[in-house]
Parts: sequence; C-alpha cells; structure tokens
Amino acid sequence: MSRVDPEQGEHKPDLPGPSVWPIGVAVGVACLLVGLVISWWIVAIGGGISIVFGFLWLSDLSGHPVGARPAAAPPPATTGPPPAQRRPEGPTTTRSGFLSVATLGLGGVIGALVSIPPIFLAIVPPFLKQSKKPVDLGPLAQFPAGQWVVTTFMLDPSEGAVSRRTAYIRYNGPLKGQPSFTIISNRCAHLGCPVQPLGLVQPDKTKTISTTGGEVVTTIPVLAVSGFSCPCHGGAYDTEGNRTAGPPVRGLDRYEFSIKNGHLILGRNYSVSKVDGAGAGARIHKYDLTGPGQHIDGWEQIFYPIQPPH
Amino acid sequence: MAVARPPRSRRKQMEAIALYPLDWLEERSGLVGAVKYFLFRKVPGDTNWFQTLGSATLTAFLVQAITGVILAMYYTPDPNSAYESIKHITNDVTLGWLVRGMHRWGASVFIILMFFHMARVFLFGAYKYPRELNWIIGVLLLVLGMLEGFTGYLLPWDQTAYWATVVGINLNGTGPIIGPFLSSVLRGGSEIGPDTLARFYSIHMLVLPAAIMGLIGLHLYLVIRLGVTSPPWSKKAAGAPWIEEDEPEQPARKGLVEPTPRGGAAK
Amino acid sequence: MSSIEERRRLFAKYKEDVKTRGKPFFPNAMFHDTVMSLVVVSIIIGLAIIWHETANGTTAGLLGKEYDAKADSGTFSFVPRPDWYFYFLFYLLRIFKWPDSVILGTVGVPTICLVLLLAVPFVDKRTERRLSRRPVAIVASILVVISMGVLTWKGATATESLASENVKKVPTWIKRNKLPPAAVPGANLFAQIGCLNCHSYLGTGGGYSGAPDLSAEGSKGKGIAFQIAHLKNPASVNAGSPMPSFATLGDQRLHQLAVFLEASKGGK
Repeated sequence: MSRVDPEQGEHKPDLPGPSVWPIGVAVGVACLLVGLVISWWIVAIGGGISIVFGFLWLSDLSGHPVGARPAAAPPPATTGPPPAQRRPEGPTTTRSGFLSVATLGLGGVIGALVSIPPIFLAIVPPFLKQSKKPVDLGPLAQFPAGQWVVTTFMLDPSEGAVSRRTAYIRYNGPLKGQPSFTIISNRCAHLGCPVQPLGLVQPDKTKTISTTGGEVVTTIPVLAVSGFSCPCHGGAYDTEGNRTAGPPVRGLDRYEFSIKNGHLILGRNYSVSKVDGAGAGARIHKYDLTGPGQHIDGWEQIFYPIQPPH
Repeated sequence: MAVARPPRSRRKQMEAIALYPLDWLEERSGLVGAVKYFLFRKVPGDTNWFQTLGSATLTAFLVQAITGVILAMYYTPDPNSAYESIKHITNDVTLGWLVRGMHRWGASVFIILMFFHMARVFLFGAYKYPRELNWIIGVLLLVLGMLEGFTGYLLPWDQTAYWATVVGINLNGTGPIIGPFLSSVLRGGSEIGPDTLARFYSIHMLVLPAAIMGLIGLHLYLVIRLGVTSPPWSKKAAGAPWIEEDEPEQPARKGLVEPTPRGGAAK
Repeated sequence: MSSIEERRRLFAKYKEDVKTRGKPFFPNAMFHDTVMSLVVVSIIIGLAIIWHETANGTTAGLLGKEYDAKADSGTFSFVPRPDWYFYFLFYLLRIFKWPDSVILGTVGVPTICLVLLLAVPFVDKRTERRLSRRPVAIVASILVVISMGVLTWKGATATESLASENVKKVPTWIKRNKLPPAAVPGANLFAQIGCLNCHSYLGTGGGYSGAPDLSAEGSKGKGIAFQIAHLKNPASVNAGSPMPSFATLGDQRLHQLAVFLEASKGGK
C-alpha cells in the first residue's frame, strides 16, 4: 500500500519566471468585456491591448524577452539550492521550456474558447435590447381631475403576469390646452419595495379594462391621498413623490406620458431628485432612470457614474 | 502463484473471497487505502462534542443536495408555473411536502450550523497557524451558503419570495460603480422577468453547489492534512505551548494556577 | 505576536503529540460525529413535519406558511420580509434611515464584516488559544453575538405604520379610550387613511412631521362641527396648517372621523 508521499523530493516542475505582462492582458480583457456592453470602439482598444500584452507575455515565457526588462532578468542566487541541482540536463531545457509554454498557451486558448461564449451569454444579454414599449392605459375618462387612481398594467403582455407594474396616476386638468398627468411609480426609491398610498383605497370601485395589444389595465380610485409610504424600511413621500422621511435617497420615479386617440399612453420611466410646486405646474428635476437606492444628485452620485441601459 | 499453497482454514478462505472485491479495488485505485487513511488517521485524544459541528454542517449540506436534486424533478422555473409547481409538490406529490420541508428547514439548519461551527473554530483559536487558509475557505463557504439562501428564496415565486428578491437585487445595485451592472446581471435585464427566475434557479442548483462542493473538498483536505485542534482548556492539548514537553500527566491541575511568565512569552 | 519559527515549532510539536498520544479518528471521534449528524437529520425532518402538520398552504402554522399568495409584481399593499437569517440586514437597513447613509447599510457594513472575518487569522498571530488569555477575542465574540441577536430580534418584531397593521390596533384603542360603538367606523377609517403617518394615537404612528398627538383630542371640547370643518379645510380654521384637505372623503366619512376624534379622551 502506498500513500501519497508528502516529500516528493527535488523533482520540481520547470516553472516559468515571474512576468508583469499578464496584468496588461487582464486589463485588456477587462476593457474588451466592458466594451462589449458600451461600445465597439472600446472592444477594439481592449482587443489590441490584450494582443500586444499577450504577445509580450508569450515571448517572455519562452525566454526571449522582447522589451528591455532589466530588473527581473536573473533570479537572485542568494537562497535555494544551487542551480546545477535543479536543472541537471542543460540541453533539454529549451525544449521542455518550449513545450511547457506551448501547453500553457494552448490550454489558455482552449479555456478562452470554451469559457468566453458562456460568460458572454451570462453577462451581456441583460444589457442589450432593454428598451420599453409604450403601454396603453385606456381612455382619459377613467381619470377624474384631482383624483388619485392606482393603475396596474403590464409592461410587456408577452411576458405575462410577471411584467405587471403599478403607478399612481392623477389627472391635474389641462395645462396650456393639453391634459396634464402626474404618474408616479410605486417602486420605492430606497430599495424598490411597493410603495403604498396613504389614503382610503376603494377596492369596491375597481375597474378592469382590456386595451389594444391585449393589455389588461386595472384601476382603483383612492380618496384623500396625503402621501405615500413604504412598508419595508419606513420611507415616506408627499403627494408629489418628494421624500419626507426615512431612507429613500430621492423622490419617487415617474413615467412620461402622451395622449393618443383619447387614450393615455404610458411612456418611458425616469428618475426624479425632487419636485418643486405641485400638480400641473410642478417643476420636476428629471434624470435618466436609475436603480433604487442610487443617488442622482449630491456628492454621492460619484458612486454611480454609469448606468446600464434600462 | 499457484505453487504449493499452504492449507488454509475454511474461515480464512471465506474471508479472502469476501475481501476480494476490496483487494481488487485497492490494487487498481488505492481508494481502500485512502479511506483507511482517512478513518484511522490519528486525531487528538481530547476532541469533544463541539468539534462535531463541522461534520454536522456537512450532513446538513448533504441533506440539501439530495432533497434539492429530487425537488428539481418536480419544480418548474417559469414565472407562470413555478408557484403552481410548488403547490403541486406540497399538496399532491406523495411525500413531496416532506422533501420540500426538509429542503426548506435544512437550509436554516445548514446556516445555523455554519455559524456555530465558525464560533467554535474562533473560540478554540483553531484558525491560527497553519490553518489560516482553512478559515478563509470557511468564510467563503459561509458567504456561498448565504447566497444559496438568497437565490433559493425566490424559487417558490410567492409574494414573500418575489419582494424579498426585489430588495436583495436592489441592495446589490447600491454597490459603488459596478452595483447597477451587477443588479442588471442578476435580473437578466432591466426589469425582473422570466429570465430572472431561470437565472436564480441555475445559480441556486448548479453554480453555487458546484462551488460549495469544491470548497468543501478543499476544506476537508486541509482538515485531514493539518489535523484537528485540541480544545484549548484540555490538560493534554496537543502542541500547546503552555504544557511542558515531557511533563508527566498527573500534576496537570497545578499547571493552570502556576504563575509562570508563559502567557507573556506567547505574545 | 509569535514569530513564525515559534509557530512552526509548535505545529511540529502538535504533529508529534498527535502521533504519540492521539487516537484513531474511527471509531472514537467519528462516533460523536455520527450521533451529532443523526440529531441534525432528526431536527430537519422534525421541523419539516411540524411545518406541514400545523400549516395548511397559505394558512400559517407554528413555523409559518407553507407558501404565501402567488407573486404579484403589481401589488401595492404587501409588506415584504426576508428569511430569518437576513433579519439582521433587514433591520440594519432601517437603522440607516438617512439617505446619505443608505450605502453604509446596504454594502458598507456587510463588506466591513466580511473583510474583518477574512482578516481574523492575519490580525491574531499569537499562538495563545486559551480563552482566559484572549480578552479581545472574547469581547469581540460577545459583541457580535449580542448585536446579531438584537438585530435579528428587532427585525423579527418590526412593524410599520400601515393601514393593514394599524387596523389591528383598533380593538386596543376601543378598550383604552373606552370608545362608544358609534366611534368605531371612524377609528377604522382613522387607522387606514394615513392620519398616523403624521399624527400619533395612543403610542402608534407619528413622529415624522411634528403633528399633534390625537389620543385626547376629544377632551378639548372643540365639537363635531369644528372637527368636520377642520378636516375639510385645515387652514380655514387653523391658519398656516400644513395638513392636507380630506374633503374628498365625503360627508358621511368625515362625520365618522369627527365622532371618533371627539370620543377620544386620552387613555389611561
């Protein structure tokens, strides 16, 4: 019976020396992957960097440095066994050195070929084709002036119930001849819990209509809304969606809207830092849609310089 | 081989026949020897009940692995039918409630045991040289275990599951710079949808278990290689600097009260 | 801190001690392991059985529901809670209730904890393992256990000033404020429509905007008519009041609210 011998003796594999080029390759690959999300120019730059540094690395490994690298040339001979013991057969080192570099290199190529497509599939599609279609919320008559209406709709009817979202809608009356709406998302600006209206919800007055494209829209009127509040961590908002208390980092998100054939059409959603004034004349500080808990103004916005496509 | 065999008793012959498969296996793989080495390796004689927490955690993990594999035969990772399949498992499938219950509560037991095991290792000082690496692997296992809890929580696709996951994903989204991208990757897009559930399912039952099994393997390898720590209060603790080299065993009690400068020397 | 030579020497001594005085893992230590594993498996199966036997689908038993209602991404009246082992994080998020500190609760504190955990063997390089001589380790572990315990407990018992949770307090109000039956519809209304988001009533709600406590509103003798006028247009009877108008509730509901307020004489 032979157990694994912990002392394997002096037979150590012929390892290549240390090299700094892999760092460059890593930077290049990272650049390349980021570029896949952002722009093809960065892909090209990243690819270039990886190829140049990969070439430098390979030539470094094979023992023929291309660039001048004075510091790391000979290994310091202060410690360790004498070199004669380590490499008993001089003539074969070039051959085995080449073979080990080739094996590592080919292994790396195989690894890259096998792992990059799946990793791409896991990471990149979530950033592509993320645009949203407009949603038909039905005739304007559903929304009496000054009345808050809880409106539940589907972002994408083809996905089914999972795409149901809720917005709080108030018709503010006409502004410069055009109907004006306040459409507030019920996604809390803290961590995305469902915000609840502070008022008397009237479930007995629920109405469900089907609009063009198979969208099912449910409306529930709410009386005497004095604000919104979040059941998770105690965020509170006023009727314009401004934060009044608790941890939310900004106001509630809103939706753009348009009117088509007498129907209210829900557009893109966007983020709001705060709203001055109220109703039709409110001045909305509008930003691109940002995830909950992420600052869009103040110094903290440096934490979130780039947003993925929403 | 077949030259003049000495006469053997019938019992010996039976034994040889019974052991033949093991010998066959050993000659071709060395596995029997490896198992023997694992079982009969020496451990300190003063190990105690606290030191069973690690293997208890492993047992809890195995319960999760076995029940999880079977639950996957009945579960459907699709938003339109996931909830119904959970109801089906709980109410209709024979013993489905038991296997699901074991998986659900096994998760809690697994996490509690990981914390207890970690507390034991910390209080015994068992993370010290040369076991630092094993402590780090243990911390990684704890993180992966919590991630299993997080990804598995969504799968029943009920209200609690959905909204806890919304918060969890947005929590990741607040990470500086890469946070928003991380939450998009977790969701599989800008909104929670069918892809999110499929993603969580795959991470929960393939990605994380594979990583956990690999790390458990490393964890056990290091335990076997480096050995088990004696309880620090043991009077016969193996390798303890506060116990004299060739001290006879009887005056042990005196050693604890003795005002020697050893505590200072260990600094 | 012990030198690396010292630590190597002691590990060699450990190996030697185990070799000379140790016992084989099987069956001595492994017997304990097996017994413990049996206990673990029994606990898991026991929990599964208790869960199933006492609960029935969405009806909670001793260990909670078997499943909640189906996920509704469009809900606006659901109160989400995480699994128990994330309660500490859940409550941590409530503690950091200023917008500037959100990131501390979400990623800051968990990251710091993780880094500290990973750093443990590199910070503590002494060979000392006896608890009596590791005061820092003892204090740290006690603090961790207490803080995790408190956070988990607070997370488990946390409530929120929400319609669904406030309505459950109405029976207590009836008892403590001796509300007549005529005031009960008003009390239910009061609990549901968000009054408690600003005002407080017998220890429930309030705190955000400095609105007055209404537990003893009825003892001021203002009268039903005043209450209704105030609810319809607060600023008309109380100049400069930031309270919004509740006129849209309609006369009947406003009357119910007024009756409830006038019946509230401050509980003992």
